[in-house]
Amino acid sequence: MKKRPDAAKGTQPAQVPGQPAKAAIRKLPSGVRGLDEILGGGIPEFSFNVIAGAPGSGKTTLAHQIVFANATSKRPAIYFTVLGEPAVKMLRYQQQFSFFDATKVGGAIRFINLADLVMEKDLNAVLEEIIRQVTVLNPGVVVVDSFRTVVRKAIGREGGESEVASFVQRMGQFLTSWQATTFLVGEFVQEEMANTPLFTVADGLFWLWQVPERNSVVRKMQLIKLRGQSSVPGLHTIRITEDGLQAFSRTLGLLGAKPRAGERRRLSMGIPELDTMLGGGILEGDSVLVAGPSGTGKSALATQFIAEGLRQGEPGIMAIFEERPQGYTQRAGMLGLNLEAPQREGTLETLYLRPLDLSVDETMRAILDAITRVGAKRLVIDSLVGFEMALAPGFRADFRESLYRMIGALTGAGVTVLSTVEVEDTFTALSFSQYTISFLTDDIIRMRYVEIDGQLRKVMVVIKMRGGNHSKDIREYVITDKGVVIIQPRKTDYNGLTTGIPQRSGQREEAAPEPKATG
Amino acid sequence: MSRATPKMREFATHLIACEMRERGFAETNVLAAFIVCEKFSLRLTVSFGKTGVRALLLRSLALASAETPGLGAVHLKADGSFEGWEALGAQVGPGEVAEDGLVLVAHLFGLLAAFIGEDLTVHLAREVWPELSLDDSGFSNTDENEKAT
Repeated sequence: MKKRPDAAKGTQPAQVPGQPAKAAIRKLPSGVRGLDEILGGGIPEFSFNVIAGAPGSGKTTLAHQIVFANATSKRPAIYFTVLGEPAVKMLRYQQQFSFFDATKVGGAIRFINLADLVMEKDLNAVLEEIIRQVTVLNPGVVVVDSFRTVVRKAIGREGGESEVASFVQRMGQFLTSWQATTFLVGEFVQEEMANTPLFTVADGLFWLWQVPERNSVVRKMQLIKLRGQSSVPGLHTIRITEDGLQAFSRTLGLLGAKPRAGERRRLSMGIPELDTMLGGGILEGDSVLVAGPSGTGKSALATQFIAEGLRQGEPGIMAIFEERPQGYTQRAGMLGLNLEAPQREGTLETLYLRPLDLSVDETMRAILDAITRVGAKRLVIDSLVGFEMALAPGFRADFRESLYRMIGALTGAGVTVLSTVEVEDTFTALSFSQYTISFLTDDIIRMRYVEIDGQLRKVMVVIKMRGGNHSKDIREYVITDKGVVIIQPRKTDYNGLTTGIPQRSGQREEAAPEPKATG
Repeated sequence: MSRATPKMREFATHLIACEMRERGFAETNVLAAFIVCEKFSLRLTVSFGKTGVRALLLRSLALASAETPGLGAVHLKADGSFEGWEALGAQVGPGEVAEDGLVLVAHLFGLLAAFIGEDLTVHLAREVWPELSLDDSGFSNTDENEKAT
């Protein structure tokens, strides 16, 4: 047998000494970014697969990516086209994708049209032609697109169903025996799954969806079955760009993230008084939530957190959703924090993500890619409300779940995450967030307005720290050209600060932290 | 209808020359052009099917006939082969006969290039005429050719 080019990645099962080796299933690269991880390493070699979905869901593009990723002149791919999209138009459109390599067409990839055969003859003739071509060309990958149209004619006839079942069975057996990895592309609906023999025979079943959600379109993929290896279950977001399909695993590629080990350091927030309130700083790898109404300085606090990390040699990422990067950088400059130099030097990346039709997983992929690029130790998400607004409506329902997956995996790997969230101040209660996301966070810092002596002043308090004790003091702060500055404990006593309308319980001994208007 | 571009005419000239060399034709022969069309059609049929290729040939013939009326006597049969071209020589002079064939080939390749791009068109042509070099194809010329329609 000819030695196959080692294009695929993946692992081979280890042999136990003294025992016969199990069959090793090589995994072929799908050519789709993110998909191999969902597949559990790649497409099982010699598997018999179905790519199903509605028109426009990306089936043909997926098949082309697989073909272009695997076809070589020694082991070519055969792409059988049948009724449906004319082959000339298919080539016209598919060549717009970056993966399309015209030099492979005709040699490594053979496009063979079966339409005339399907129209003029029966399934036996179609199978004979497939067998003839496969025998001559010895392909490593075979695609039939659209398989649905191959069998449609037979289904309407008496005995057609058994004819189709026999055709599928014989073709599957032949192609597998011929060591070809096969993909049958077809427009199927899920209701057909129970009584279509094809789905029983198939080793792998890729199902693609395209669902309109208000003004956005959501594309998803599910591996309904994949024999022989462990794939990531569930619906995964896909997007079609000029590079073809890109898949975004629900696990965000973080399944293998190494958990933090050993004792965790305390990280400075860049505000010494706040570090003291936090029992010495944020524990490395914690998820911190900074909650407060508009204008309380959440972004300033987040910027100080990142800037302090940079001072300590810890690269950072700022994922911002409500303000443009330039404005963000300029405002940091007004607080005495230079974010321009670290961005130039590659130790800080500012991601501005607000295209309004993103999926959570795509957004998180962008963040994770940036984290990998700069080797980030600190991540700011400013803000969760803006993040949610940037998502397509259909993805907002998944927001908390996806956020949970990402924060869990990132913090597990030692990245410290600070998220801001805008909350509306009420004057009867102290809420932390409208998202019920406190389960995502190890630490919560709450900022709020209080009315004192005819001024709307600001206070902050550490609500929770999973990693240790913390100050329970409610501390007043101001935002100056040095950022958030916490005022030394005041001698004046107040009760009811968390209501926003405190009552003085002590003597008036101090002046207001910022001058009151006169005249 | 649009005329065959100089670039496609040059490409067609090279293909016809390849075919004539292969067949040992001494001088420009209208048969060579039709052989080019039919030979290329056979290759295209593998990928695009008989129906798809017949549609391309019909359109090419229509475009070419509008440009050189002599081709009005040529028809495409159901099997994808041309008929009526044999009479071309009797109606017009040898130079015109050669021009008719050239225009037809130019339109066929021009049409295909419009659909699947020049790169893939040349690639498919070189499967049929391996001796066709990229320099011969005329596609290395500038786009100024395209403007001369």
